[in-house]
Amino acid sequence: MRGSKAWNGLWLTVLAVIVLALPLVVKSSFAIDIFIRILLFSFIGVAWNLMGGYAKQLSLGHAAYFGLGAYTSTILQIDFGISPWIGMIAGGVVAMTASLPIGWLCFRLRGPYFTIATIATAQALMLIFLKFRDLAWGAEGTTIPNLGSAPWMMQFETKAAYYYVALGLLVLGLVITWRIERSWMGYYLVAIGEDEDAAEAIGVNAPRIKRDIYLISSFLTALAGTFYIQYIYFIDPPTAFSFNISIEAALVSIVGGIGTLWGPVIGTILLETTSTLLQSWLGGSIGGVQLTVYSLILMAVILWRPTGLMGMMREAYQRYISRKPARA
Amino acid sequence: MWETVAQAVINGLLIGGIYALVSIGVTLIFGVVKIVNFAQGEFVMIGMYISFFLSSQFGIDPLASLLVTMPVLFVMGVLVQHFLIRRVLGPNDMPQIFLTFALSLLLLNLALMLFTANYRTVHTSYSDEAFHIAGLYIPVAKLIAFVVAMLLSGALWVFLHTTDLGKAMRAAAQNRDVATLMGINPNRVFCVALGIALALAGAAGSLLMPFYSAYPFVGQVFVLMAFVAVVLGTLGNVMGALIASLMMGIAESLGIQYVGADSGLIVVFAMLLLTLAFKPTGLGGGRVR
Repeated sequence: MRGSKAWNGLWLTVLAVIVLALPLVVKSSFAIDIFIRILLFSFIGVAWNLMGGYAKQLSLGHAAYFGLGAYTSTILQIDFGISPWIGMIAGGVVAMTASLPIGWLCFRLRGPYFTIATIATAQALMLIFLKFRDLAWGAEGTTIPNLGSAPWMMQFETKAAYYYVALGLLVLGLVITWRIERSWMGYYLVAIGEDEDAAEAIGVNAPRIKRDIYLISSFLTALAGTFYIQYIYFIDPPTAFSFNISIEAALVSIVGGIGTLWGPVIGTILLETTSTLLQSWLGGSIGGVQLTVYSLILMAVILWRPTGLMGMMREAYQRYISRKPARA
Repeated sequence: MWETVAQAVINGLLIGGIYALVSIGVTLIFGVVKIVNFAQGEFVMIGMYISFFLSSQFGIDPLASLLVTMPVLFVMGVLVQHFLIRRVLGPNDMPQIFLTFALSLLLLNLALMLFTANYRTVHTSYSDEAFHIAGLYIPVAKLIAFVVAMLLSGALWVFLHTTDLGKAMRAAAQNRDVATLMGINPNRVFCVALGIALALAGAAGSLLMPFYSAYPFVGQVFVLMAFVAVVLGTLGNVMGALIASLMMGIAESLGIQYVGADSGLIVVFAMLLLTLAFKPTGLGGGRVR
């Protein structure tokens, strides 16, 4: 359906040059901040999409792993002086470890009740961090000591440096997704997503595949948590375990195109651009505007274009460029 | 000693009646239409705001405003089913989950825009009244709410078991295809199920108003309780949801009494996790979806 391999290579090269050169051309720190948000939420969406998109395990509790990653690296940094680069990996491992019992419980339910169970686990983790001060600063949270320019502690003078770190994360997520998509695991995931009972009947070990993809998805989400906290220099339970993180992870994937490689990226670009425009028009004075618009976009996508923006672009490509009749 | 326990149990039982109205709605929709309505809590919130504005603008008692909230919410339920949910019924989970989830986000944030995050309260003549029986303290407003909630639940049970429409609804819940073959119009049955479920949520809102504040996020408190109660009481089982809701109310209240004031939610999550770990089919048994 797509053009030849050479065309794909050319497109990717052009895209890479544009994305790499962007902070060199655009100097406004407001704009770079938006680009970083887009990269970060794309990455979270990509991590969610592995499990929610391909295997259709629709979690609304990924904030649990975002928060665990954020808290692990912050505790290691402040209490033990360990670099967040190492803390980031440690956070990922903690998140993976936590995903095993959480998955064991939540995967007992299917469909909407799986979703509810994931919401409950993320909320329960937030309550634990709120309630137990000894664990990690309780409800007050803490600021991250500012060391000025300290790249080995994931602290940079320019926003451009943060931009490249976020870009690196997103590329990592996309490469992992691309590899999985083309492996036997990718096919198993899609089979589970289509019909879990049928997949098991033809010999797919669904519980094992779901567990494995949950491990990968939670690991990646935790990396995003560490990066975000290092970027904003502050952590408290409502920030680290914010329900909005869980929502946005799912939202960008669905709006962009659930279960596609580029869906979460395109979805994030649309939603974050909309949100920025709204903020500049309304001055961010009215609470609730952003999520009102997000929920309207989500409803419109579900009712009229369940394949998301990727599906729309594919149809447009087939209709106007390749001139082949669109598949029914 | 026993008095503290008895008092905690009574407090829990009384609020459990409200939880029951919300969770019966969730389980009814799940049983009949086979979807989970993530927006159920927001309809409690809408019920509360309707009662609040009727009270503050026209001086109508929140209990009398039941006569407004229930029909209004019933119509909303029919509209939601006809224009939204009907379009996503099918084998695929994703649209169903995220459609009602989007509806929940939409209603919540619209409320935030229109009414701001302020807490709204209604003060009635009986808001501070209470019975004192054998050293126990029973607030009148909560007692009324509990009694009305139980009456409405009972009325629903009678409706489901004696009327043709109620029987059609139970038939559709048991086997949609066979029910359709028997001449039952599924969309009509689904519309009524949504209508009843939302009317119950609206009733919960009006009954809460004399002793609880209305604010945009208020529904989240109740919907979480309802989801846990519905799992605990076996998905789709109305009586199970009622009993589980009362148990949850009592467990929450005992948790507040003996663990700490802010531990109500922790008790709820603990109950959910224990249920999932040991009895994922709920207390009523049966099959997990």
